[in-house]
Amino acid sequence: MTLLLDVVTTAAILFIVAAGLLAIFGVLKIINFAHGAWLTIGAYCAVATAGLGLNPWLALPIAFAVGAILGGITELVIVRPLYRRPLDAILATWGLGIVIGQLITLWFGRDVQFTPNLLSGTVDVFGVGYSLYRLFAVAAALVIGLAFTFLLEGTRLGLSAQAVIMNEMLARALGIDTARVRLATFMVGTGLAALAGVLLTPLTSVDPNMGVAWLIGSFMLVMVAGSSFSTLAIACLVFGGAQVLVSTFVSPIFGGITVAVLCALVLRISPKGFARA
Amino acid sequence: MHENRSTPARVWLLAALALAAAVVVIIGPALFDRFTLNVLTRSMIYAMLAVTVDILWGYTGILTFGQAAFFGTGAYASAMVLSHLGASPALMVLALALAIIVPVLLGAFVGWLSFGHGSTPLYATVISLVVPIVVTQLVFSGGVWTGSSSGLVGYSGLPLGLPGYFRLTGICLIVTTVVALVFTRSDAGKLLVAIRDNEARCAYLGLNPQRLKIVLTTILAGVAGIAGFLYANASGVVAPENTGFVFGTEIVIWTALGGRGTIIGPVIGAIGIDYLSAQLSGDLPFLWNLVVGALFVVMIILLPNGLAQLARMVLPRRNEEQASPSGSPTLAAEPAGNGSEAGNRVLAVSGLGKSFGSLQVLQGIDLDVHPGELVSLVGPNGAGKTTLLRCLSDGTEATTGTVTIAGQDISGMTPDEIVALGVGRKFQVASVFDSLTVADCLRMARASRNAPSLLRRSATLGLPAAATDILRSTGLDRMLLGRPVSLLSHGQKQSLELAMVVALEPKLILLDEPTAGLTKVERTTIGATLQKLTGELGFAAILVEHDLDFVRDISTRIVVLHQGKLVLDGSVDQVVNSEVVRTIYSGGAHA
Repeated sequence: MTLLLDVVTTAAILFIVAAGLLAIFGVLKIINFAHGAWLTIGAYCAVATAGLGLNPWLALPIAFAVGAILGGITELVIVRPLYRRPLDAILATWGLGIVIGQLITLWFGRDVQFTPNLLSGTVDVFGVGYSLYRLFAVAAALVIGLAFTFLLEGTRLGLSAQAVIMNEMLARALGIDTARVRLATFMVGTGLAALAGVLLTPLTSVDPNMGVAWLIGSFMLVMVAGSSFSTLAIACLVFGGAQVLVSTFVSPIFGGITVAVLCALVLRISPKGFARA
Repeated sequence: MHENRSTPARVWLLAALALAAAVVVIIGPALFDRFTLNVLTRSMIYAMLAVTVDILWGYTGILTFGQAAFFGTGAYASAMVLSHLGASPALMVLALALAIIVPVLLGAFVGWLSFGHGSTPLYATVISLVVPIVVTQLVFSGGVWTGSSSGLVGYSGLPLGLPGYFRLTGICLIVTTVVALVFTRSDAGKLLVAIRDNEARCAYLGLNPQRLKIVLTTILAGVAGIAGFLYANASGVVAPENTGFVFGTEIVIWTALGGRGTIIGPVIGAIGIDYLSAQLSGDLPFLWNLVVGALFVVMIILLPNGLAQLARMVLPRRNEEQASPSGSPTLAAEPAGNGSEAGNRVLAVSGLGKSFGSLQVLQGIDLDVHPGELVSLVGPNGAGKTTLLRCLSDGTEATTGTVTIAGQDISGMTPDEIVALGVGRKFQVASVFDSLTVADCLRMARASRNAPSLLRRSATLGLPAAATDILRSTGLDRMLLGRPVSLLSHGQKQSLELAMVVALEPKLILLDEPTAGLTKVERTTIGATLQKLTGELGFAAILVEHDLDFVRDISTRIVVLHQGKLVLDGSVDQVVNSEVVRTIYSGGAHA
């Protein structure tokens, strides 16, 4: 039972972390290697919020806003000239990640920071005591997934974004301001990444390099998922499940590389990953 | 110096530079203090890695973070032998051998994984991220064998002392750099750029780009392994960070800052940045990384070719870019090897069909082509003409039926294997190598026949007479060197591609709208060339064309394709005067 809950909650956490990266990759076909840095920014927003003595839940909207604003600046200055050079965009955003990591170190120091728990304690699920926060993560993942589906299917921005995904030239010819769609998408993606950073704080230690550990896993999941949130959810469940199983039954060290290795193999067999399914 | 690269002047320059570098390396220990020697030894090892990354990324276009894994594997293989078995001379040889063999095997596997038929460049990058992570985790889980998270330390290495290591590493770096410079500037080295520019064209010139990339990955993994061996000996410690993906990104950063695609740039970048880091990071640890990171971002955006590009803009241009008549390679005639006998079918298609899901694009196509024929394939848009050409040049395309070329069934064969049977394909949009010169493009077309030299730039360009004729009649023979092909006009690119295809000496040429967007004069030239190739030289050609007047003037036979079916196959007169063609083209009843 605990195992099943572990699978579901791990998948939920992976989904939360990868969502922002997917939003950007799905529409812009750009891999934001500064994604890890944005997770870190979000986590430090939680630290700062706590430092100001505010309600820890306030960190969520604050992080989203900070992430989105910084993301907007990044899109305008760094990403915009590189849409035609996707491999260079990987490098430039990675460099940006280094810069952000160092700035955070200069500001907050390199020590591990602690944040107040958003939710603590355990609840009984079918007779087993389980971390309340991990269950909350499932709810958060569902909310993010649904909100995104709504944003994409039910709003004008989402419709424009879909048009850009399918045929950018045509979208532009039809009078859609693709530059604005890109900017908005990038801001939403980075905002989400920062939000995910806050949500991670109770689960992991907060330090200037915390994001890098999460980057590769979410990157691989996004490669497999392509551009759809539902395939990302499936990928998170399958590979997150595999990770939990390997960690439990083989060794936690191999558990850490399960996602990356399995995703690489899936991509070798089917270059489009789950996108076709 | 106005000579081109093949003249001895360049060779002398290179030799002089190498010698100067060697002198610095030999007397270095007398000049520097211990700290500097230590740091520079490490920096020079890293510079060897930067050279390998530059060959893969700067020249061939494969962005890789995986060299760190090969380096780490080599370092760990050496350190494990030295700490667990000992450091006798025999064991030292074993350590070196393993430091090469293990990364080479890993490299071959990674290459095979990264470069399947039809895998994307991004996928190779993805794999190059996963490999270091896996290796690092293996090191962590290796217990006493690998020393886990604290690494291996306290083993004895080569008995050289600090000055000895400095000299040994320096010599290794100089050798690596010189070999890399000679190779990338040789005829064979241009292959790497050709792969980066246009991989599909490489395959359709009968080359196997995927296999070349696998070979390259394997060899460079071995070089990284040697660097790892040096590192394990010189530093006396190996740690999991040496294998990691973050280290892999650092090598890429040095390469990018120094200037990708220049070999020397990355060497200077690696040594400079690593040396400065060691000097400065004591005083301002975070600020230094901040500066490097920021510089890297700015560089990628504004100066994608790194500091070397800046240097090139500031320094007066060397004149090798300008074609002086004496520098131009001489065109040499190759004996015609087009020995197909008239009468035998070059191409036999029977019952060919192609569908995308439930959509039937081609069905029941039967077609024979003999040497000397110029068969035009006409039909309205969407009739399946280009699809048919694709089925003829890629054995994995057709859904049903058989295609036989020169007596051999091509089902399942890749484009380069079909090219070897004698098929040349000219694409609708001119498919050439944008950053190569005209001469190098043509040399690529001959590369599957005359293996290009790994060492030299040839002074001659051997081409079959038919290809030379095309160059002469279009004036391309006066532009062999001088500027990259990307600066040619649309018509010149089309002619160049045709010359490249003809230089393959195919038995059968497939041409997809070779005259689209050309002027009347250019069109006539191409028409005359095609007639000469088929009528006089015995090539067979299939031509997809919309311009019916052009088709009527030059074809020996016309085939009409409509809605995926072959509706008419006959002589020019039969087809042009047929009722069916009129109906199809005037948009009448759907025949």
